[in-house]
Amino acid sequence: MDLIIYLAYILSFVIGMIVGLLLSYKKYTEPFVSKNIDVVALVISIIGWILLLNSQLIMLIPQYISITVGLFFVATVLGMRPGYGRYELAIGFVVSGLIWLVGMVLL
Amino acid sequence: MNLMANILLNVLIAFLIGSLLLGLYRKVVARVQTRPGPPIIQYLLHLLKFYIKESSFTKTAAMPFYLGIASIMMVIWITAVIVGPVVQGSLLIIFAVYALHKIVEHNAGSSSGSPYGKLSCVRAVYSAAAEVPLFSVLVIIYLKTGSMGIADIINYQAVHGPLLYSIPLAAAMFFVLIVSKAQYTPFSITKGKDIVSGYETEHYGLLRGYLMISESIMWYMLLWVFLTVFLGALGPLWLLIGMVVMTVGIAFISATSPLLNPNHSVVLQIIFAAIGIIGSILLMNVI
Repeated sequence: MDLIIYLAYILSFVIGMIVGLLLSYKKYTEPFVSKNIDVVALVISIIGWILLLNSQLIMLIPQYISITVGLFFVATVLGMRPGYGRYELAIGFVVSGLIWLVGMVLL
Repeated sequence: MNLMANILLNVLIAFLIGSLLLGLYRKVVARVQTRPGPPIIQYLLHLLKFYIKESSFTKTAAMPFYLGIASIMMVIWITAVIVGPVVQGSLLIIFAVYALHKIVEHNAGSSSGSPYGKLSCVRAVYSAAAEVPLFSVLVIIYLKTGSMGIADIINYQAVHGPLLYSIPLAAAMFFVLIVSKAQYTPFSITKGKDIVSGYETEHYGLLRGYLMISESIMWYMLLWVFLTVFLGALGPLWLLIGMVVMTVGIAFISATSPLLNPNHSVVLQIIFAAIGIIGSILLMNVI
């Protein structure tokens, strides 16, 4: 059973990266130069990191489902066209890390 | 779990993780060299692309050997997955798989008839003279743990701590062996840039797909064997972290060091092997 769950995580990550790559090439036709933050990618990144890192805090859905969905969202931003998605990914990680810190350590 | 299902799942995991790690490897090399580099998923996409491309065969290819050798390479690394993560069998079989890999490199190069392939074929034989002594790390592990079985080695480490601390030179030797299998490192002479893609140069379409799948499984297995044999049984998360750290480290080596010519590469590896074997035996007597 464990192996099937790990395979689901990996497949979710791979599919997320492919989706991210395809969508970002469609959305951005030029190389990464303007360095603006993409709001949609930022929201996806924050949701993804929260689902991935804070799966223990989310009681409504089973942990393996939240990790699978979280990995998909994180991979979507990670897999964007080279250069794009870096800041969004880092901000999402920091926000999720803060939530984890508040939820697991302080409360 | 059913054995066949266990094998299938482990092979799929090895293939997917190996592909992603090789993609990460190329990305890190590119970033170190201040290039944007391809996406991490590129290796996997590249591999899948070969599957839907038309396969063509060179006129000089030695049939049916040329066709069979790519499949044999995949079979031997699937065997390694079965012996390793699935049944935790003997390290000797992993050694046999590695030795067969050298033979496959040699035959894949020679069967295509390409001059680049033939040079790679000669280099595969030449480098075996240095890489096989590096694999003598198995003897050191046997002397230390009294067993060649992966399960026994894991149990030994559960009691006595990781072998990395007690036989560090053996671990260093195995690390050099892994470095020699990574692309564009000082020791990867069978696929040096000077001979295009080495033994893979004249393999197109489906055959190249087979070779790339084998390489991704090989990369996963080499890292798995290193981490399991020298650090003990790791959970999936720590195993993944270990593999990522090692891949990034080797990518740094690859990005910042020159490709050695075959003579220098082999001599340097033999020196590593000599220091590793003698040093490990001395250390075992002291500790």
